[in-house]
Amino acid sequence: MIELRNVSLLYPNGVRALDAVDLKIEKGEFVFLVGHSGTGKSSLLRLLYREQVPTTGDVYVDGIAVHRMRAGAIPRLRRNVGVVFQDFKLLGGKTIWENVAFALQVTGARTKDVMRQVPRCLDLVGLAQKSRMFPSELSGGEQQRAAIARALVNNPKILLCDEPTGNLDPSNTTEIMELLQRINTKGTTVVVATHNQAVVDRMRKRVVRLENGRIVGDEERGFYFLGLGQGQVLSG
Amino acid sequence: MDWGKVKFFLGEVFANLTRNAAMQLTAIGSVAVAIAMLGTFLFVQRTAAAVSDQALQQIEVSAFLSDKRDLKADSGLIARTGALPGVAHVAYVSKAQGLKDLRDKLRGEVDTSLLTTNPLPDVLRIRARHVADVPAIADAVKALPGVADVQYAAKTVQRVMNVLGAAQRVGLAVIVLLVLAAFQIISNTIRLTVYSRRREIAIMQLVGATNNYIRLPFIAEGVVAGSLGAAVAVTLLLTAQHELLPALAQLITFIPFPTQAPDLIPLALQLLGAGALVGAIASWISVGRYLRV
Repeated sequence: MIELRNVSLLYPNGVRALDAVDLKIEKGEFVFLVGHSGTGKSSLLRLLYREQVPTTGDVYVDGIAVHRMRAGAIPRLRRNVGVVFQDFKLLGGKTIWENVAFALQVTGARTKDVMRQVPRCLDLVGLAQKSRMFPSELSGGEQQRAAIARALVNNPKILLCDEPTGNLDPSNTTEIMELLQRINTKGTTVVVATHNQAVVDRMRKRVVRLENGRIVGDEERGFYFLGLGQGQVLSG
Repeated sequence: MDWGKVKFFLGEVFANLTRNAAMQLTAIGSVAVAIAMLGTFLFVQRTAAAVSDQALQQIEVSAFLSDKRDLKADSGLIARTGALPGVAHVAYVSKAQGLKDLRDKLRGEVDTSLLTTNPLPDVLRIRARHVADVPAIADAVKALPGVADVQYAAKTVQRVMNVLGAAQRVGLAVIVLLVLAAFQIISNTIRLTVYSRRREIAIMQLVGATNNYIRLPFIAEGVVAGSLGAAVAVTLLLTAQHELLPALAQLITFIPFPTQAPDLIPLALQLLGAGALVGAIASWISVGRYLRV
């Protein structure tokens, strides 16, 4: 579903965000990207929705060679890849319903589909009752659930989350992670960049560890810290 | 037809127009000022052109007819002269009429009784539609059979043509400058409205909207703002014409002001079109800056 081959990313200011990264994520997987701030987690995610182009190396998402994609083809990729951010990125002037519907409407979707998909996604994230409210009237956790609903409304095969719980308290964090797990069990591939140790340790999913732009660990059912507990290292 | 889509699109345009009301008012205001300047200048230019045309119609070509010509061919000669390109009017003045006119003109200054014989030839007095055609008309008339000589105020014509040419070039330069200035003002203002919504543009790109789809509402807004601004300017111009021109026309009677409203309607439509077009182009360019990936 996702494959990076020998990917390096060099920013114009000389910072090497990613350094010879090889990574393969299968369809339906749930993967944590962990590591300190500035180790390249966000950069790696940005490559997958073509916000960044690798300096060298190949990036494949759902069979598409993203690294040599025409600009005109980007919208199609993004409809297949939902993205969720730490700061939600909701439009303050629109209601929750409108924010979710917006993602469909700007792709030129038919009204019939909008009317079917939006309630489905709002139901899934448990915001059906609050669809007429504005983002500022919701809690952080609810805003993030709205953002997830928006990311899912195009029925993407992949959901990328960049520090999705970074602005949330522990109980909201738990809710969001349970929601992501539920989405994953319905078949969506989920990749979560985080430095929330509790979340990673509780979920026991595949953990890909980044350090200075390099992958330094890749474990099935891993912990936040390398080899904690079982000490099983299934390098990948 | 998917009315839900239409409703969403119009809703987006309307919401953005009203949400950034202050910014949009600034855009509309700057369009209005720019278009009003342009409109005023175009109006002045057109009036000046009308004035100069009227003044230049006084310039005549005089064709002196030979005394030895075939008199029966005169009506044919007049018709041929009238049919020359650029000729507006031909008048035949006979020797006798010419002498009478001269006598009337000199009465009280010279003792005209001294004029016992008639030294004057028969004359065709020819008026051109445009002063630029005068030299060509004079040459053509001179070549006609029965015409002995041709006279016109060659130096005056040349001078007037030089002045007109210069005025036209200056006028064109001023119009180009005004259009460029208007475009700058408008596109800068629209850029501000786009800037205030760069977040929205980023989110649209994130969820997979195509660039054209993102542009469309902005261009519609640009057209609305541009047309509204032009409408304000046109209203100002028409009001000024309605209220001020009759008074001016009474003061300055020798200038043929176009006081009838229909004269300005094509100009008004052109200005409205210009406002809409400039709004659309300015939006297109401004949004483009935020669409680069």
